[in-house]
Amino acid sequence: MTERPAPARVVPAVARRDLLRLAGATAAGWLVLGATPDRMRIVATLTALPLDDELTKRSMTEAATTRLGGLIAGLRQRGWVEGVNFRFEIRSSFGGPDRLKTAVQELIDLKPDVILTGSTVETAAVLAATKAIPIVFATSNDPVGNGFVESLARPGGNVTGFTSSTAEMGSKWFQLIKEAVPDMARVGVLFNPASTPRAGRFFLDSLEQEAATTGVDVVLAPIGKAAEIDGAISRFCEPPKAAMISLVDSFLVVNRQAIVAATAKYRVPMIYPFHYFMDAGGLMSYGPTLEVRSADYVDLILRGTKAGDLPVQSPRKYELLINRTVARSLGLTIPFTLLARADEIRE
Amino acid sequence: MNEQADQGHLRTPPGRLFRKYLYSIVALAFAALAITTGFDVWFSYREQKQLLAAIQREQAASAAIQIGQFVGQIENQIRWLSRLPPELSTNEDDRLNAIRLLRLSPAIAEIAELDAQGREQVRVSRRVADRVGSKTDLSTSPAFRGANESRAYYGPVYFFGDTEPFMTLATRGTGRQPNVVVAEVNLRFIWDLVAGIRVGNTGKAYVVDRTGVLIAHPDLWPALRRSDLTGHADVRAALDGVGPPSGGLVREDLSGQRVLSTYATVPSLGWLVFVELPLSEAYAPIYASIGRSTFLLVALLAIAVLVSLWLSRRMTVPIQILTQGARRIGSGDLGLRLAIRTGDELEALGDQFNRMAAHLRDSYATLEGKVIERTSELEKARDQALAEHDAAERARSIAVQANETKSRFLAVVSHELRTPLNGVMGVLQLLDDGNLSEVQRRHLATAAASGETLIALVDAILEYARLEASTEALETRDFRLDQLIEAAADLMRPQAFDKGLTFDLASDATVNIAVHGDPVRLNRILLNLIGNAIKFTPRGGIALTAAAEQLDKHVLLHITVRDTGIGIAPDMHERIFEDFVQADDSIARRFGGTGLGLAIARRLTRLMRGELTVKSTPGAGSTFTLDVPLGRAASGIAQGALPPPSRQLNVLLVDDDPVNCEVGEAILNRLGHHPTIARNGASAIELARDQAFDVILMDLHMPDMDGVEAASRIGKLGLPKRPRIIAVTADVSTLARERLAGAGIAKVVSKPILINALREAIEDTQDEPAAAQLAAGALIDRHFLDDQKELLGAAQIAKLHHLLQETSDRLIEDITKAAAAGDRKQLARSAHQLGSAAGALGLVRLFERCREVELAAPSMSPPECQSAARDLAALQKASISALDDLLASAG
Repeated sequence: MTERPAPARVVPAVARRDLLRLAGATAAGWLVLGATPDRMRIVATLTALPLDDELTKRSMTEAATTRLGGLIAGLRQRGWVEGVNFRFEIRSSFGGPDRLKTAVQELIDLKPDVILTGSTVETAAVLAATKAIPIVFATSNDPVGNGFVESLARPGGNVTGFTSSTAEMGSKWFQLIKEAVPDMARVGVLFNPASTPRAGRFFLDSLEQEAATTGVDVVLAPIGKAAEIDGAISRFCEPPKAAMISLVDSFLVVNRQAIVAATAKYRVPMIYPFHYFMDAGGLMSYGPTLEVRSADYVDLILRGTKAGDLPVQSPRKYELLINRTVARSLGLTIPFTLLARADEIRE
Repeated sequence: MNEQADQGHLRTPPGRLFRKYLYSIVALAFAALAITTGFDVWFSYREQKQLLAAIQREQAASAAIQIGQFVGQIENQIRWLSRLPPELSTNEDDRLNAIRLLRLSPAIAEIAELDAQGREQVRVSRRVADRVGSKTDLSTSPAFRGANESRAYYGPVYFFGDTEPFMTLATRGTGRQPNVVVAEVNLRFIWDLVAGIRVGNTGKAYVVDRTGVLIAHPDLWPALRRSDLTGHADVRAALDGVGPPSGGLVREDLSGQRVLSTYATVPSLGWLVFVELPLSEAYAPIYASIGRSTFLLVALLAIAVLVSLWLSRRMTVPIQILTQGARRIGSGDLGLRLAIRTGDELEALGDQFNRMAAHLRDSYATLEGKVIERTSELEKARDQALAEHDAAERARSIAVQANETKSRFLAVVSHELRTPLNGVMGVLQLLDDGNLSEVQRRHLATAAASGETLIALVDAILEYARLEASTEALETRDFRLDQLIEAAADLMRPQAFDKGLTFDLASDATVNIAVHGDPVRLNRILLNLIGNAIKFTPRGGIALTAAAEQLDKHVLLHITVRDTGIGIAPDMHERIFEDFVQADDSIARRFGGTGLGLAIARRLTRLMRGELTVKSTPGAGSTFTLDVPLGRAASGIAQGALPPPSRQLNVLLVDDDPVNCEVGEAILNRLGHHPTIARNGASAIELARDQAFDVILMDLHMPDMDGVEAASRIGKLGLPKRPRIIAVTADVSTLARERLAGAGIAKVVSKPILINALREAIEDTQDEPAAAQLAAGALIDRHFLDDQKELLGAAQIAKLHHLLQETSDRLIEDITKAAAAGDRKQLARSAHQLGSAAGALGLVRLFERCREVELAAPSMSPPECQSAARDLAALQKASISALDDLLASAG
């Protein structure tokens, strides 16, 4: 059952820890023996982003615009204060499989109380490494399809988390970019098959079905390396008129600056699944709001709830962001239907 | 009960009233407070519970209304869409309107507009691509049908993606061909609403749909798990349409905590909004209220106790002051003033006490004055009485002195007469040389007879004088009563026979005993009575009867002497016992005699504490009755056996007569003592110097020197142990006794020596125990003492008693000193003072003796003075002791 220590216990816990430090080496044994409730917890996270990326920086002061910042702030609201009763450890795979393994092993060796994973690739890697340490995935488009969970309502095992965009979102992205670029004849779909669900097919079915109803050709632009971005986008700058869709892909998020720069360079309109791309200067994005939800689950798990008992949550809100300046620079006129729908219009 | 209380007040245990008041007031206050608080707590508990339930119901109702409003708002919005006139809306416009609606209501995930036939015209979604004019036939969908059947359709809750609760909402437009708008509403937006409902601090609200499934809960997990709550009895009951209990329901919530639960139904949706508040919080105000009430009760009780203490003290202190005051006034402290300043009835009572005490004090003052006045009157009367008494005493002592002078005169005269008479008688005997003529012889015989009569007269006068001078003392010893009576009868019988009279002796057997008394004096009384009877009986006879009555301590001798003589006239019955009185002068002339016989007999009888009376008729004879108490003889006398002496004594017998010496030696030997014989005074002195004697028996008449001189010389020998000297003489005149006392001779044994008399004289080692003897007589005039006591009061008597002890001791000392110094004036003065002091408290014997000593002092010899001083000392001691006893027993 859920226990809820009052935030007030935080301060005595600090005082007691000071005493324990004074006790020195013997305190270790004491900790093992009886101090479990006040044991310093370890919350570990594995991300594909480089550690100097803006998204890995966490603000301790404000409600988060980033996932990690939101986690830290949310945990503090629930009585968990970093450095006092939990320690935060972050490791990065830097988007590559070779670094991934080391990072996972490092995290496992820390014997953390819970591991948060950024995306499907990392989740799969950690899940493969441990069946004991609870895992909370921040986004996973198809956890059942990936074999992470048995069902969304009852995940089972040591993992739970949050889903992101559903498969139908492919058609939605197509509709939205088609409204922004009504005269487009083909649409390019940018993704990394290695880091996109079902190598892109998860979204492509609905996307291709919708494109077929409007007679627009779907041109896949899979890439494997960052160096390929420029080339992949440059192919859509020439007629026939083209626009692009960026799928949900951690690789693309990691390389969002390069992608946005390439679209600007080649004047290619592109719709993105996350608002991170907008921050980098993208045209428009549509996707579920990255609510601060992981703190709830980390809190419950730290208090003893089994991860497998926690249902996998689906997105509640979707938001449409449009940058009119970028649109004007691309010679696009945003129609009323999009403006009426937009949650935020940047100038 | 009241009686007990009264007794309690009589005893006045300290603080009892105080405690009673205290307990009563405290009990009253406690009862009042406890009952008030109890009722207060009970009612407030009930009211608070009701209030709590009511508040919770309100909260539930409010939550239900909010949820209803939330849904109602969405319903209104889609109704607005459905009622847009068809000519205003092309498909594209419809889409735009729907998009606007999505923007307005984040909870709506998808909107579809169907025409009246159920064909889809527009579908706008957040998740999938919008569809315009698809004409998909949805006329069979429950939403379309539901919306057509009623004004609005609320679909069941369904879960998207297993975890997200959704509901389908549909409304129908107006007009002939009304459109139907169907909206998919994400119910998770209700969660924010539910989570925002504050129920106390820790309470919560949650929502259950019509099938009992939890669709909104502030805790994430139970809501996400799509919990089915139909298993809960209250949920089941609520779904069945049973209203919530008015006081709320207490049950366990999902986490097992005991909660106060109630619910409200969301209008139109049929959902249930449950509101739960943990009991610990719900009842906290009630418990706090009870705690406050209890604290208040305790505090008020404490105040009540303090107030009770103060009140009780205020009530009891004046009462205690009153009680103490009453006690002190009761014990005589009338000057006491009670200071009670309570300003109420108690103060008035205290004032009444003070007034009462003041009145009492005044009364006492008056009474005391009266008593003092009365006492002084009595003292005056007493002084007067004492003065009168003194005057009478002086008169009496003058008379006594005169009488004594008379006696001394008689004694001297008779003694002096005897010497020439003896000479006359001797000469008369010498005259008869045988050559006398008959006439001469007859004259001589007459002269001799006259002389003998004269000598008898002189002897009688001498004896009477001795008695009168009170110098006659009883010489008691054991003797046979019957022998004494018979001897007297034998002696007198010849005289009776000579006169031709009969003489009968009738001795009762009871007189055949030995008694202790003075046989010589008793004999003389008998001889007097018998002689008198013979003398005054011309014809007839004399009858003598004797009987002895055994009483407890003594023997009462009863003797009658009856004659057939001339008798005595009734007026003379008492006078004949007076001095020199005979029945009449003619009798004196006829019978002769001095008229002293009966006077002497009566005086001797009185000396022996007996009674001598007469019954007589003139011409028919007289009967004299003698009653004399006699002591019991020591055992053995009757049998003639002598008791052994207490110790063997060395006795010197001094006598010039050889016969007397032999008889005396024999008697002493028989008595068990060791006798030594001295034939004259000189040898006696010599023997006394050489040997140690316990007792010297001294004959007074010896040729070389008389016994008195010999005794004086022996006394002057300065022997280490001075022997007791006992005089043996026939002469017991006062003069002789005075001489003997001067020579240190304390005791006299009369001649002829009788064995018992000698034994007693020798063995009586102590001088007369004056105190013991005096104790027998009345030392104190009790009547007088009682009168004095009544007059003066016990305290005064006690003071006088004390004073008497001190002064009499001092006076006795003075008397002893004066006697030793031979200062007769001082002796008389001190004796007078002692007498006065003794008289004040009725010590009559001491008083009288002092008077005697005072009067006799000028003529007393030094030994007499000393003897008198010793006598007074002993008497003073005995009298004071008797007075002590008397006052101690009376006090």
